[in-house]
Amino acid sequence: MPDNWSFVFAAYALAALVLGAYWRRLGRRERELTSKGASTAPSETSPRKDCAGKAGARTGGASRP
Amino acid sequence: MSGLQRGLGWLAVASLTAGIVMALGVAPREATQGNVQRIMYVHVPAILIAYLAFAVVLVASVIYLWRRAAGADRLAHASAEVGVVFTGINIATGSIWGKPTWGTWWTWDARLTSASIMFVIYLGYLLLRAMIEDRERGARFAAVLGIVAALDIPLVHFSVYWWRTLHQPSTLLRPGPAPMDPTFVVALTINLVAFALLYAYFLARRVRLLEREEQVLA
Repeated sequence: MPDNWSFVFAAYALAALVLGAYWRRLGRRERELTSKGASTAPSETSPRKDCAGKAGARTGGASRP
Repeated sequence: MSGLQRGLGWLAVASLTAGIVMALGVAPREATQGNVQRIMYVHVPAILIAYLAFAVVLVASVIYLWRRAAGADRLAHASAEVGVVFTGINIATGSIWGKPTWGTWWTWDARLTSASIMFVIYLGYLLLRAMIEDRERGARFAAVLGIVAALDIPLVHFSVYWWRTLHQPSTLLRPGPAPMDPTFVVALTINLVAFALLYAYFLARRVRLLEREEQVLA
């Protein structure tokens, strides 16, 4: 039986390629979610308009001291 | 990514490196097939881990239907995805191994066919999840499919005993000691542990991602 090293290397390369591609896909998705999360998260320094509006309605539009 | 998860990733990489060294450098050349038999060290762990992944889908699906626990649903989803990756590797490496030993890339043999059906069923499982927009409904349907699909696991494993096949019977999952030289068993075990660690790493990361996806989309 010939050695067939090319088949062995092809099998290992293919497995490495698939696992590497999945690993990268997870990383990419993680980065996407991080950027999405950062863009949708409310800013801590400026109050959300809807909250400010509701607060205003409750206090009859009077500003807080 | 947590420190524990990162550590698991590095452990998986280290054990995969050790597995490759064992498979390509230390394990002896097989007497009848020659070096092409070294494909076994990727091919066999891949299907064993796929069995494990789909068994996790089964258990998590039962828990989800019983308790409606979102965590169980995420675990089933993540495990099915990782299981499909490992099944794909098993089928592809088996095809590469088949060419020099059987003279063909593919044959409609019972083992090959049942493994391909398993691959397609779990791809369908992932498609189903992606297609149904209502999360609760999607999770419920997927859990039912995850339980039914598990029936294919014994079919794949025992196909070599139930039908006349080209594929050889199991070497590891059989009664009695493995009919191999201990060096082959050691190399195979190291690769199996490496694949198991990689599965655990992928699973942990994918579950975390699913959790974050739900938080971002909520």
